[in-house]
Amino acid sequence: MPRAIWSGSISFGLVNIPIKLYNAVSRKNVSFHQIDTRSGSRVKMQRVSATDGSEVPYDAIVKGYELSPDRYVTISPEELDALDPEATRTIDIEEFISLSDIDPVFFDTAYYVAPVKAAVKPYKLLEEAMEQEGKVAIARFVMRTKQYLAAVRPKNGALVMSTMVYADEVVPAEDVPELSDLDGVTVSDRELAMAKQLVESLSTDFEPEKFRDTYRDQVLELIDRKAAGEETVLEAPAPADEGKVVDLMAALEASVKEAREARKRHPTGAEEDGAEAEVAEAKPKKKPAKRAAKKSA
Amino acid sequence: VTVVDIDGRSLKLSNLDKVLYPTGFTKAEVIDYYAKVAPTILPHLSDRAITRRRFPNGVEGQTFYEKNCPKHRPDWVDVFRVTGEDGTIDFCKIDSLPALLWLANLAALELHTSMARAVDPDTPTMVVFDLDPGLPADLVDCCEVALWLRHVLGSLGLECAAKTSGSKGLQVYLPLNTGPMTYERTAGFSRTLAQVMEQQHPDRCVSVQRKELRVGKVLIDWSQNSRHKTTVCAYSLRARPRPTVSTPVTWDEVEACLDARDAEVITFEAPEVLDRIAEHGDLWLPTLTLEQHLPELG
Repeated sequence: MPRAIWSGSISFGLVNIPIKLYNAVSRKNVSFHQIDTRSGSRVKMQRVSATDGSEVPYDAIVKGYELSPDRYVTISPEELDALDPEATRTIDIEEFISLSDIDPVFFDTAYYVAPVKAAVKPYKLLEEAMEQEGKVAIARFVMRTKQYLAAVRPKNGALVMSTMVYADEVVPAEDVPELSDLDGVTVSDRELAMAKQLVESLSTDFEPEKFRDTYRDQVLELIDRKAAGEETVLEAPAPADEGKVVDLMAALEASVKEAREARKRHPTGAEEDGAEAEVAEAKPKKKPAKRAAKKSA
Repeated sequence: VTVVDIDGRSLKLSNLDKVLYPTGFTKAEVIDYYAKVAPTILPHLSDRAITRRRFPNGVEGQTFYEKNCPKHRPDWVDVFRVTGEDGTIDFCKIDSLPALLWLANLAALELHTSMARAVDPDTPTMVVFDLDPGLPADLVDCCEVALWLRHVLGSLGLECAAKTSGSKGLQVYLPLNTGPMTYERTAGFSRTLAQVMEQQHPDRCVSVQRKELRVGKVLIDWSQNSRHKTTVCAYSLRARPRPTVSTPVTWDEVEACLDARDAEVITFEAPEVLDRIAEHGDLWLPTLTLEQHLPELG
């Protein structure tokens, strides 16, 4: 079950709706650990002083803002907390607009907005009113020392909130040289008609399920294969007393004997896994000819 | 996991009871085969670049071609560093029983080797004619072509040796062991011979790769004579429905196979190959020792 990552309330006008936020997206990145190839040991991060290399204990670390090279203003967590309007803990709705007014470039991270038990009714009321009016709410709220702009919108009977970037964080397209050069380019009607025809021929309804992160699938598959094929990239160093060392032939003998007996018990064992056709093709019953040939050789 | 001591090296063997072939042949049997064939196969492996073809989930599972020696190799497995136009590759140096069994434990069923030694990667020590049948042609048809090829080589005063590929075909090797030599010359020689054979027996063999030309004929593949290619090593297991081995055979056996028109005559599985070694010794030894000069053609 997902865990709420923030609790507070949605506030607009005189209405205050206690809610919790849940992540609406769980990223499925494959995360790796760092391993020392020489020993197979996990690599541990250590904070060290840039001056003398000695380890710095966690409680000795403060945030420093670089004013100019080697000049910092240090800020303690307490000082930041004092600025953090923790007490408000509200998502303040400032206006209602049409969803189509927001360019997707503004959207950042999506959260589900869930009502606490006592607030189910006003939550539903807000959601249905927005749904029927076809509006989304623009709100501000503070989470973990950052003030966010957010859009709250109805989706399948629930409210979904997307944090948004601020207008001054969006890089103007004109800053990209190739894009500012596009102004003077003209296209003919005939070219446009052909391009439109191509767009039309590929037009369809968006089905997000059709798309998968195939790179991630491949990474996971690679991991599975390696894990199944006993080629673990590295094995952690074995404790000194792990497994007693035995003689090679002694180790193999029992397994080889067992395999041979298993074949005698099930001489057509291959049929069990559906490979009989291939095996039958490769194994005509003409052994006597070979024996004869061997003697003549 | 079983830890074994092999010649003073400690090696972890895992999943010994895992069935790697549909006939029920297990990983323990693969390792057992390579352990017993080691004295015979090692001279053919120990100083050459090896491409490993691994089947961690058995011959019906996914396969991996590997050239670079993995970083997680035991510290007693050495590498050959071979630098070419396509970069640098560190090949595993498989020159001992423990190194060979380390590969066997990784389910490296097939070991493919270069025509040259790793220390001198541009100097092939032998020429290979890889006879590859196009259905419905089979190993028997390869025997016929191999005997013609032997005859042609013989008329040039050259001796050659034959081994099954362990899969569908047959391979004829022409030992040289006399430097200096280049792939340009070995490829040119084998190509010319393949073309001569194709002219003499246009209904039986072809000298070009194209699949559609091969139907019912035997491809005399000369292109394996390349710095970039490896060919299955003698005594290597193959990933076939049965644990068949690329097996050196006598010319009498090649004739017997053709006479009987039965591929089984020279199709050998791992345990039979060990019996053959006990009986014949290493039939493949001449490829390492016989010194012959490649004639200039045309």
